[in-house]
Amino acid sequence: MSSFKKDIDDYTKNLNDASKDKNISTALTRAVSTYRETVAATMKKYPHTPELAKEVREIKTEALKNNDKLLKQAMETIESNKGKAYFAKDQEEAIKIAHGIIGTGKVIVKGKSMLGEELQLRHNLEKLGNEVWETDLGEFILQLTNDRPMHILSPAIHIPREQVAEIFSKFFKKKIEPDIAEEVAVVREFLREKYFKADVGISGANVVAADTGQIVIIENEGNVRLCTGAPPVHIAFVGIEKLVPTFLDAMKVAEVNWRYAQYPAPSYVNIISGPSKTGDIEKVTTYGAHGPREFHVVFVDNGRSDMLKDETCNQALNCLRCGGCMYECPVFQVTAGHYGRTYLSGIGSVWTSFVDGGVDEAASMLYTCLRCGRCVERCPMKIDVPTMVGELRSRVVSSDDDK
Amino acid sequence: MVAKREIPPVLEILCENIVKSNNPLALNEKDLSSWAKGLNLPLKGDTLFYTGGEYQLLPYIDSLVKTITYINPNGNFFSLVMGARKIVNMTGIHAEKIYASILAKDKKRYNLINYKAVYILQKLGYDLCYNGKEEIYSGALLHELGFWKELKSYAPKVADYVRKTEAKTVVCISPHAAEMFKLILPQITDFPDVKVRTFVEMVCERKELLPKLNYNKPVVIHDSCRLARELGIHEEIRQILDSLGVKYIEALRNREWTTCCGGPSKMLFPDISKIVSGRRVTELADTGADTALISCPYCLSALESGKHYESRNIEMEDLIEFIYRGYES
Repeated sequence: MSSFKKDIDDYTKNLNDASKDKNISTALTRAVSTYRETVAATMKKYPHTPELAKEVREIKTEALKNNDKLLKQAMETIESNKGKAYFAKDQEEAIKIAHGIIGTGKVIVKGKSMLGEELQLRHNLEKLGNEVWETDLGEFILQLTNDRPMHILSPAIHIPREQVAEIFSKFFKKKIEPDIAEEVAVVREFLREKYFKADVGISGANVVAADTGQIVIIENEGNVRLCTGAPPVHIAFVGIEKLVPTFLDAMKVAEVNWRYAQYPAPSYVNIISGPSKTGDIEKVTTYGAHGPREFHVVFVDNGRSDMLKDETCNQALNCLRCGGCMYECPVFQVTAGHYGRTYLSGIGSVWTSFVDGGVDEAASMLYTCLRCGRCVERCPMKIDVPTMVGELRSRVVSSDDDK
Repeated sequence: MVAKREIPPVLEILCENIVKSNNPLALNEKDLSSWAKGLNLPLKGDTLFYTGGEYQLLPYIDSLVKTITYINPNGNFFSLVMGARKIVNMTGIHAEKIYASILAKDKKRYNLINYKAVYILQKLGYDLCYNGKEEIYSGALLHELGFWKELKSYAPKVADYVRKTEAKTVVCISPHAAEMFKLILPQITDFPDVKVRTFVEMVCERKELLPKLNYNKPVVIHDSCRLARELGIHEEIRQILDSLGVKYIEALRNREWTTCCGGPSKMLFPDISKIVSGRRVTELADTGADTALISCPYCLSALESGKHYESRNIEMEDLIEFIYRGYES
């Protein structure tokens, strides 16, 4: 058991340092203001969104009640779609499954995924002797700096263009100007080759339809399209909470998700239900046409079923990971992801309590929450973070045998 | 036997002070009730005026936070400071010296807020009772900090205090106390069946009787999180200002979208608290108003700190103090 009393010293120092970091304060001030303005304009243009969010809340709540059934249905459907479905009860099992599919000495291109962070996929696959490239621009920057995400949607939110130019100049061994277009172009050129050389592409998923076995991935950069389309093998890692009954439900979840993530419509919505196939020659179905010939979906529990059983905290499983709450959090606004571990801010402290170390590891985060409740105002799922934080604090301060 | 999880001393001591001394900082009855001297409020009555000792605590909290900003709030030294009344002179720190260092003007100001609240309510025709000798803290911090087991044992004492006054209505000047009485305590103890009202609601109900204020500059309202979001009270403050004839400017983040004052972090993360408070002060000052009106003791205290941190020229005034101006003139 780690000591909350001891841990809080280092944590506080880190938090205090972050709060004085000019890069964080500049980047976050801009991001918060842009987020609020964009969301307001987007909601004005698509005024049905808050009502749709209410419907999605019901869909997700019901889906969680039937999670076991939906998981079984989705796994069967994926198999009948000629994909492979797996269930991993924890991180160790998930990595073992990944190792079984991938082996060693492979080149892997990976899209952004919070579950991927939770499982420390890149590090674990590298340890197994593979070459792994993060393809989301923000994650790519963090890979080069050996840093961790500071926001779930904009992981390198704390690094301004000047610093990016320095990082890229060092990595690419040529002078890169602090010009965002140039910075984007140099990564595009570098990764383009990797997509087509890669043996495996890895992605997460925003939502999964149990009836059709379709996984839905929302993105803007186009990297996920390439990761999931170019290599011969695609593996998707999905938290079991992402399951909803039907394809139509999945589309509703997706629309609410991207709208609260400040997009009127994302550049791409990838919908994948099986391996690439063709029947163009003699009507013989052949797998592995232009896209991957193998499609694997790994459903991961890793503490989620414990969260589901928790009457106060199971609502956290409704989180769409739109990131809106973080922009409204007064502490996150000045510390970014330093207020967090894998998962960030108030909602992150709840997730940490179940999937990333338990209340011992989450304690400092739980006590950082102001319980001011503005995140609830923003949350499309109206997840009551202050109540869950209160409940989990009570578990921190009571001795184990009091529970 | 499973070992108890080690927690920062500041949490343990706040809890212990409340449980053993009925007050987060173990202040004595004289510190808490002297403001009511001379008012001769009856001990029992239909409408109970409840302070919970919260405004009275503010000058002490500020003084302690000023001290702990330079030391580690999780260290043993801090334990001594927080538990000062029971551990005297062990390391050369004397509780009474710390408490005596409280600025007299701060102590007077915060104590006067209670007095002014009673004065205003009486002028509006409310008959109030108050039992300063027996009044105890609502337990809000036990709830906030997760000491739910301790709160379960403490809650009946609060219920008993209210019951003994035979009140049918309790008027709370702190939204934290109102939240406890309205939403929390009835769930965990046999709490008397009383109407729980905030000072803001009581005044709003009889706002037509308020004296007009000759105040020509617009003010800005800082909505407190508890009042605006938890209790849904924000329109009432605007209606009161309309009745006073005072113009107000809305802050960019207001009502249910209000920004936290940073107060909740004050004890565990004093540096972060100051920054959050300072940013809220900036939001308020950026409206151009030179006075911000506040309806929560902790917001008042936090924003006063934030004002100094940001060096912004804006006055932080409790709504109670502001309304009282009308009676002074």
